[in-house]
Amino acid sequence: MNAPADPVLDIRNLTKKFGEFTALDHLTLSLRRGQILGFIGPNGAGKTTTIKILVGAMRPTSGAATIAGADCVRDARRIKRLVGFMPDSFGAYDNMRVREYLDFFGAAFGIPRGARAKRIDEVLETTGSGWMQDRYVEALSHGMKQRIGVARTLLHDPEMLILDEPANGLDPQARIEMRDLLLKLAGMGKTLIVTSHILPELSRICDVVAIITQGKLRAFGTLDQIMRDLRQKRTFEVQLCGPAQVETAAAAVREALEPGEREGVSAHATESLVRFDTARSDTELAAILAALVGRRIDVSQFREIPKDLEDAFLSVTRREAPAA
Amino acid sequence: MIPVLSREFLGILRSPRALAALLAAAVAFSLLVLARWPAGGIVDLSGAGSRGAFLVFAAAILGGVLLLVPAFPASSIVRERNQGTLLLLFNSPISAVGIYAGKFLGVLAFAGLVLCTTLPAAAAVYAMGGVDPWQQIGLLYAVLVVVAILSIAIGLLVSTRATSPDAAVRVTYGLVFAVAFLTLAPHALTRGTTGLSATIAEWLRRLSPLPVVMHLVGQGGAVGGGLLEKDAGVWQFIVGGLGLAAVLAVATILQLDHRLFDRSRDAGTITDDQSLWVRIVRRLVFLVDPQRRKAGIPVFLNPIMVKEFRTRRFGRFHWLLRLAAGCAVVSLLMTLAATNGTMDWGVETIGGLLVILQIGLVVLLTPSLAAGLIASERERGGWTLLQSTTLSGWRIASGKLASVAWTMLLVLAATLPGYLVMTTIKPTMWNQVMLALVSVLLAVAMTLALSAAIGAFHTRTAAATVTVYVVLMILYLGPLVVWAFRGDPFGEQVVRGALSITPLGAALSVIGMPGFTQYELIPIAWRISGTICVASLIVYALQVWRLLRPE
Repeated sequence: MNAPADPVLDIRNLTKKFGEFTALDHLTLSLRRGQILGFIGPNGAGKTTTIKILVGAMRPTSGAATIAGADCVRDARRIKRLVGFMPDSFGAYDNMRVREYLDFFGAAFGIPRGARAKRIDEVLETTGSGWMQDRYVEALSHGMKQRIGVARTLLHDPEMLILDEPANGLDPQARIEMRDLLLKLAGMGKTLIVTSHILPELSRICDVVAIITQGKLRAFGTLDQIMRDLRQKRTFEVQLCGPAQVETAAAAVREALEPGEREGVSAHATESLVRFDTARSDTELAAILAALVGRRIDVSQFREIPKDLEDAFLSVTRREAPAA
Repeated sequence: MIPVLSREFLGILRSPRALAALLAAAVAFSLLVLARWPAGGIVDLSGAGSRGAFLVFAAAILGGVLLLVPAFPASSIVRERNQGTLLLLFNSPISAVGIYAGKFLGVLAFAGLVLCTTLPAAAAVYAMGGVDPWQQIGLLYAVLVVVAILSIAIGLLVSTRATSPDAAVRVTYGLVFAVAFLTLAPHALTRGTTGLSATIAEWLRRLSPLPVVMHLVGQGGAVGGGLLEKDAGVWQFIVGGLGLAAVLAVATILQLDHRLFDRSRDAGTITDDQSLWVRIVRRLVFLVDPQRRKAGIPVFLNPIMVKEFRTRRFGRFHWLLRLAAGCAVVSLLMTLAATNGTMDWGVETIGGLLVILQIGLVVLLTPSLAAGLIASERERGGWTLLQSTTLSGWRIASGKLASVAWTMLLVLAATLPGYLVMTTIKPTMWNQVMLALVSVLLAVAMTLALSAAIGAFHTRTAAATVTVYVVLMILYLGPLVVWAFRGDPFGEQVVRGALSITPLGAALSVIGMPGFTQYELIPIAWRISGTICVASLIVYALQVWRLLRPE
């Protein structure tokens, strides 16, 4: 049994090439027990490739990945016991009820019949799906199917859950329920890797975030760490009392900034505001505000725009876009 | 209508399988004529060589149309509905008639293209002399166009009712072959009698293209001992076929509206929660009630096999029990009919019919069950889930095969009472019956292995089912067609070779079916089918292993 501080997931220089195309380029990251990793990136970034390697469905060109000490390539059978995988497609069978569906996958994992029935009750309870056990799987709504998908991954009590887009296509209520469910699973000591395009959802539940583009890891750490990295340049807005002084204010801000930062100043007459990005300290920003006031510009607000995971993601992906 | 037509036609043409089918048709028909081309280019004055070539050509082209055309209309509407594009069409200014016409003409254009690939071969047959260009070749093409129209009309109607493309393909092929072959059976049974049943049987026979085509090639009296008579009305078939197609078209158009989407999802009623009375009735009706709460899968059973029994779209357990019961009744009735002497068929003929019934069931049912074993998992995302379980490739492959093997054995076992009665009437036939049963078992094994192997290379169940049906129809019906034309144009050696390919000929020969007794097909037929079976199983196992291993 690993100590809580030991990494459950350890990825070292993982690389996957398809001919000349590099889908994954020296990916390195690790994850501790009970953590939730938000794995984000645009379409084709290498998320699914990474997941496939982790669940033993794909071989890396080079590098290694271990889950709870088991190598994802050499110990494929052990990996299947350690990982619960929910792909983005549900995989329903016709004419099968929820309980039969879970019973089949329980039997596929070799769980004895008596223990299996008990385990099915437990996972239905955990996912709050007990009431739908006699429903046909194909007749379930998308949100219900996602719950059953999570229940299926829990059947063999894996250490790690890999969930590909679990919140995709869910309505707001179902999304909140899914978020609570994932937090509950983390609370039970499960380690989770969750991919999603709904970044505000991820930011609420993830302990660590990995941003990947073009197969490369661009940012990795807690949300705060990533924000701090990106805060080398912060965004500010100067709200004026009217549109008449917008251009004068923009000119004053440009004068106060370094030449390299002047391109980032934009004037918005319709909103009566000036927006700019800068890496300057708070003292220097106070001087800019003083300069504006000194020029008799009527400033009603001088504020920093808070950044969230979506901004971080866009910031990273835009930074990498020219290379694409 | 035009956008639907062009999309449908181009959609078919862009399919690699359609292109392969066109090329295969062109090459096959050219080779057929070349094989019958007179040595040194000298034609006999009697025209026998040319008529022989025309006969082979006509049989092949009819088989081609029956095998190729139904697949496309069958999946056309149901696939659009499942993909959501049919709703978009309904919300466009195109009317239901326009949608239907576009789809109909799109597939008909493809069928026309298939027929066009045969024109050079038809010209070669004409050039050999002895065949009338209008009364024979022209009318043959007219009949084939009607066959194509009828097949498309049946396929589109089935496609509006079906819930999945593979189910639509199965039902469409079943109906098309019923129109082509089963419509001849009542006439065969009532031949020589008069009355209402004989009249109905005669009208039913007129729906089949077989007598018409055989009449056109000058073989109206051949095949099946007078099944096909010289007075087969070509024009009656054309008018009747077009009339039936028109009725089917109207029925389909009437269903092409938003009601297609107005179907609620069955939440699933549990019998255990019903009243005692309902539970008793359901137990009597179903034997194995699909709505009962199931116990967990026992550890000693392969979970894949149990899952297949519970979930497959075709051949769930309660239906199989009914089918088995039906088979038992039919086999007993056939034997009793012979025993009572109302039909002077003889025990051997009854045995032959039992063999045909058994192998017919094998050829019709096995592809439906086995072709989609792997394809359906890949189509619906189940394969990824199976990959993530600890099930080995052997357990998955064997569980899937076992689910079909047990089913087919159950169905075949239901036909055994007929043989028992037969051997009671004529105990000397015991050895023959045993040899015939071994041949039938080999047929099951070969058909199952071949279906599973071919299906494993597909990602869509419907396409897998069509491919397997085409291969099996060629494999099983081809030798019978060759046998039907034994003597002219096919010689003894050719017929023997053709019958050796499948165990059907061996079973009919050993049971003493009239027309087959002169061929010694055991053990050569057993060896060939055994080899095909083993080779198919190896291919199937390798493909499962390949699909399961990491990319």
